[in-house]
Amino acid sequence: MYKYILSEAGNINWMALFALITFMTVFILSAILVFRKNNDFITKMSHLPLEEDEAGSTK
Amino acid sequence: MSKIETFHYDDKIVRNFAVVTVIWGIVGMTVGLLAAIQLVWPAANLGLAETTFGRIRPLHTNAAIFAFVGNGIFTGVYYSLQRLLKTRMFSDVLSKVHFWGWQAIILAAALTLPLGITSSHEYAELEWPIDIAIALVWIVFGINMFGTILKRREQHLYVAIWFYIATWVTVTVLHVFNNLEIPVSMWKSIPVFAGVQDALVQWWYGHNAVAFFLTTPYLGLMYYFLPKAAKRPVYSYKLSIVHFWGLIFIYIWAGPHHLLYTSLPDWAQSLGTVFSLMLIAPSWGGMLNGLLTLRGAWDRVRNDPILKFMVVAVSAYGMATLEGPLLSIKSINAISHYTDWTVGHVHVGTLGWNGMLTFGMLYWLFPKLYNTKLHSVKQANVHFWIATLGIMFYCIPLYWAGWTQSMMWKQFEPDGFLSYGNFLETVTQIIPMYAMRALGGALYVGGAIMMAVNLYKTAKSGSVEDKSTQAPAREKYVAHKGEYWHRWIERRPVQMLIGSTVVILIGGLVEIFPMMLIDNNVPKIESVQPYTPLELEGRDIYIREGCISCHSQMVRPFRSETERYGEYSKSGEFVYDRPFLWGSKRTGPDLHRLGKKYPDSWHYNHMLDPESMSPGSIMPPYPWLIEDDLSTKYTAAKIKVLKTLNTPYPEGYEDDAVDDLQKQAAEVAASLRADGINQENLENKEIVALIAYLQRLGTDIKPELMVEQ
Ligand code: HEC
Repeated sequence: MYKYILSEAGNINWMALFALITFMTVFILSAILVFRKNNDFITKMSHLPLEEDEAGSTK
Repeated sequence: MSKIETFHYDDKIVRNFAVVTVIWGIVGMTVGLLAAIQLVWPAANLGLAETTFGRIRPLHTNAAIFAFVGNGIFTGVYYSLQRLLKTRMFSDVLSKVHFWGWQAIILAAALTLPLGITSSHEYAELEWPIDIAIALVWIVFGINMFGTILKRREQHLYVAIWFYIATWVTVTVLHVFNNLEIPVSMWKSIPVFAGVQDALVQWWYGHNAVAFFLTTPYLGLMYYFLPKAAKRPVYSYKLSIVHFWGLIFIYIWAGPHHLLYTSLPDWAQSLGTVFSLMLIAPSWGGMLNGLLTLRGAWDRVRNDPILKFMVVAVSAYGMATLEGPLLSIKSINAISHYTDWTVGHVHVGTLGWNGMLTFGMLYWLFPKLYNTKLHSVKQANVHFWIATLGIMFYCIPLYWAGWTQSMMWKQFEPDGFLSYGNFLETVTQIIPMYAMRALGGALYVGGAIMMAVNLYKTAKSGSVEDKSTQAPAREKYVAHKGEYWHRWIERRPVQMLIGSTVVILIGGLVEIFPMMLIDNNVPKIESVQPYTPLELEGRDIYIREGCISCHSQMVRPFRSETERYGEYSKSGEFVYDRPFLWGSKRTGPDLHRLGKKYPDSWHYNHMLDPESMSPGSIMPPYPWLIEDDLSTKYTAAKIKVLKTLNTPYPEGYEDDAVDDLQKQAAEVAASLRADGINQENLENKEIVALIAYLQRLGTDIKPELMVEQ
């Protein structure tokens, strides 16, 4: 029965492949780009939640 | 340096959300506890229609998800967003509309669900007027959030905010698609999708409600409140970026793992499995990132209940996200699905991850919001241990129950017969485990009540003056050469919004689109006919009473199931099912092949008092179905809507529907009378419609066709 649905729906293998490939691209690209660069900026970003405490501003 | 500006954060709205989080949390958990007790003592349904299991289970899930966790999300977002962006919320009016609108929706849910007003889509049960209200309030929240982002004083968006943005976008898309329905009356609608498609859209939604309501916003909260409580930055900010993109990309694909071995096409099932397995990577990346934030601070964890709550929360997140993918493997799913294993799994996530993180956040927030110290750190510690114990008492018995029951369902004797042919045997076996689960739930609720007292006393000892704060105005940003790519997004919330929308839409479209294409290609089975008006009304009673919360209608293609129930279910059998009623849990047996299994009178007696037919049954009695008259007020309207959705009723059939209904009702009543059931006006009672529906179930496939396989 599944075969029946598949043949009727046309060739959908490309969809699975497309999904996998886009995903791998997004994932690998973001990983590479993220880990390549600029530690100062990263440190600044990661301290954002703590800023109000560190600056000692009124509450 | 730009000029320093003085302003106030709006903490009143945060306090409001925090308080209702506590209240709804206790309400939602208590309803859950009541449901758990009913599985041990059905009499705990109090003899009222409004408080039977099938109606309060959705009340519990909706309250836990949308009232407790929902308000928890808003508490955390309204607090952290203002501070991360160094600005007050965009509009106090919108904040108020959001707050009161959301509480009104919760109230509407708390009223309509016990009344049996439900669309029967799990976790999207609310009917269309409330759906519209949800959409409006959600949009208000969105405008308020993006308005705040646009008027921010901080140039860059911290990762928590990306999680909030992705949450907002995805929940919008999911909510709209899963609630496409045509109203029949004020409190009844019919979904535009039927059968297999309805199932796919529903579980695409259902899964992503977990992903984008219970997970992504809470990850945002984790990335804000865990560093706050630990007083140190997140372990790796870089990892959090990869975590974000990986997670939102993959999550959206995993929905079909809820439908393994059902009539859903194989390719969609495989897609669900593959992406579920891939989910381990970003999930565990996030978990490790959270836990490693505490490196070097473990001595503080020992003394600080807030950190303890957070550690257990993040660990539970790790466990649930390892278990989830494993349950998506077909051979494991074959064992776990429809059993209480799934319920145990869900509660590791909700009690462990959502609950514990909320508790930690509230203990941290209340002293800040009321300018004071926590009333009792000791009580918070006690709460921590009670809650942890509660989770264990809740989950371990359910894993055990699920495993035990599944093995009993599948066990054969050497001569080829099922060892436990009577389904009820597999239920009574696990009732002691249900009792332990209820105890675990009681502990957990008890802990939450303790917290409420502690927080109340904290609030009373404090004051609510909102001090002013200062921050420099945002400078105009000048991009410099070779700048790090992601900063481009971090600076631009609109790009962020579009980026995450695209990412989640890819997954959604690839999954949903082919299903829509094959609309006309779900194999038509000639003998499958639309429901008669009486059956249709009976079906709506089945929906109203929430029978779906204990009964599936989907026989999987296993020998253990075809032996027990009959021929396995075919996708073509569900083309007129709006909504689909496959169910997700078998506290009672599957009902898809129930038709003609018993005489009408058996059902009459069984619905009146299940124990009369099945001694020891934990199914609740439904005496009101026997007393109440069937309403035919909307029968014609239902037929009309179904016709616009291409259900092949004859031309003008809506005008004859009630006549036909009465004819069929008289037949059922006659058969009941022939079996000695003498009740006045029997043919006008709801029970007659329900029996007609139950007797129709799964009978459209002809015996010849069944043998052929
Ligand atoms: C709390 C869970 C629960 C709910 C809710 C529930 N049932 Fe049941 N049901 C059971 C259990 C357990 C059994 C098996 C024991 C028995 O026969 O009573 C069962 C058995 C049945 C059977 C007999 C099936 C068979 O093949 O022997 C029918 C029919 C049935 N239920 C219909 C309904 C309908 C209709 C509703 C909603 C109005 C409903 N049930 C709601 C738990 C439930």
